Amino acid sequence: MSMVEPVEDTHGFPFTEHAQKFEVIPTDAADPSSATFVVHDEDHTLGNSLRYMVMKNPAVTFCGYSIPHPSEFKIHMRIQTDGSMTAAQALDKGLDDLIALSEHVLQTFQAKVAATEDYEIRDGAHI
Amino acid sequence: MNLDPTALAFPDASGPQVAIKEVTNTTVTFVLSNTDLALANALRRVMIAEVPTIAIDLVDFETNTTVLADEFIAHRLGLIPIESTQASSLNYRHECACVPYCAECSVEFTLNASCQSEGTMSVYSRDLISSHPSIDTYFEDPSEKGVLIAKLRKGQSLSVKAIARKGTGKEHAKWAPCTGVAFEYDPHNRLRHTTYWHEEDVKSEWPKSEKALEEPEPKDDEPFDYKAKPDRFYFTVESTGALPPTVIVVQGLEVLQRKLAEVHNSLRKIAENQGETAVPSIYMM
Ligand SMILES: [Zn+2]
Repeated sequence: MSMVEPVEDTHGFPFTEHAQKFEVIPTDAADPSSATFVVHDEDHTLGNSLRYMVMKNPAVTFCGYSIPHPSEFKIHMRIQTDGSMTAAQALDKGLDDLIALSEHVLQTFQAKVAATEDYEIRDGAHI
Repeated sequence: MNLDPTALAFPDASGPQVAIKEVTNTTVTFVLSNTDLALANALRRVMIAEVPTIAIDLVDFETNTTVLADEFIAHRLGLIPIESTQASSLNYRHECACVPYCAECSVEFTLNASCQSEGTMSVYSRDLISSHPSIDTYFEDPSEKGVLIAKLRKGQSLSVKAIARKGTGKEHAKWAPCTGVAFEYDPHNRLRHTTYWHEEDVKSEWPKSEKALEEPEPKDDEPFDYKAKPDRFYFTVESTGALPPTVIVVQGLEVLQRKLAEVHNSLRKIAENQGETAVPSIYMM
């Protein structure tokens, strides 16, 4: 009887062991208008869409993200504001807005799927 | 949550729109418009890599006297689509305390085939017997035999126990619910995000995309609009059968929301731990 299993068991790749999902690296303790946020277990999916949403905020002067090393599963997101809100507030707002935006897409998509007369259904697909 | 898109802090006029063109058993074709490339691409990525499905992950060989090696068959078994609409009822392996698996995090399949006759015997995914009352391999129609796993000649036999687990495409492509996501924007290449290789003339050497009919053709002397951004995205999501195609889109958006909510919660938690007052210090100017 033989077992075919990966030689090295990663115990549920790609989840790495770290205390927190999220860390803040302040640029300057006295200036909360700029900071770098480290988000673990995330990639371009979250990084780029969140960057876009945070950038929509007129108070944000800079927002960019990077994946510092390809074998570390994390992103760095840098936010600078004009001083009217903190970087953390800008991130908080970006997250809120992106959740609301994807909720809107979700609701719209589900409404359109329900409107079966508006599109073609082929091969007897069940809706 | 307020679903009125105009209530968004920084709305795109009326918010993103969706137009579904066609739905089949395995595909959904739709246009996502009035939104940004970043959101459209996040949706594409999340549907491929982060919508969970069930796939065979551990194979125990009792007998294998076929011409195919154990790991070859194990790999083939892993790629068989399993009906995954109930995937949320299973734990991920790392969420489960069991060793090495249990009913909470896995579905057991058995396969017993032995060729007694002169001809070649084909073993299909139909021959995999599920131990679960409602989770089974996917069949497009109830009469089909499914995926060909191996061929046996007289005297050969194959007997395995296969453990299916929940996972996502970012760990192994066998867990990806889509065979592909067609993703297209700017069919006339107005934005010059791509360069067409050509000998003399791009227009005569490259056939137009069928999506070209949906957008006005640029005039030959039209100046390049360097500020223009893509805002219409043509999607076709093709399912492996593990999940209905529209469900992949819905679950993709839900996964995206859950990821964002997780980051949001962690941010709030850090803010709470730092602030002695009602206003957390990282939120204070
Ligand atoms: Zn378990």
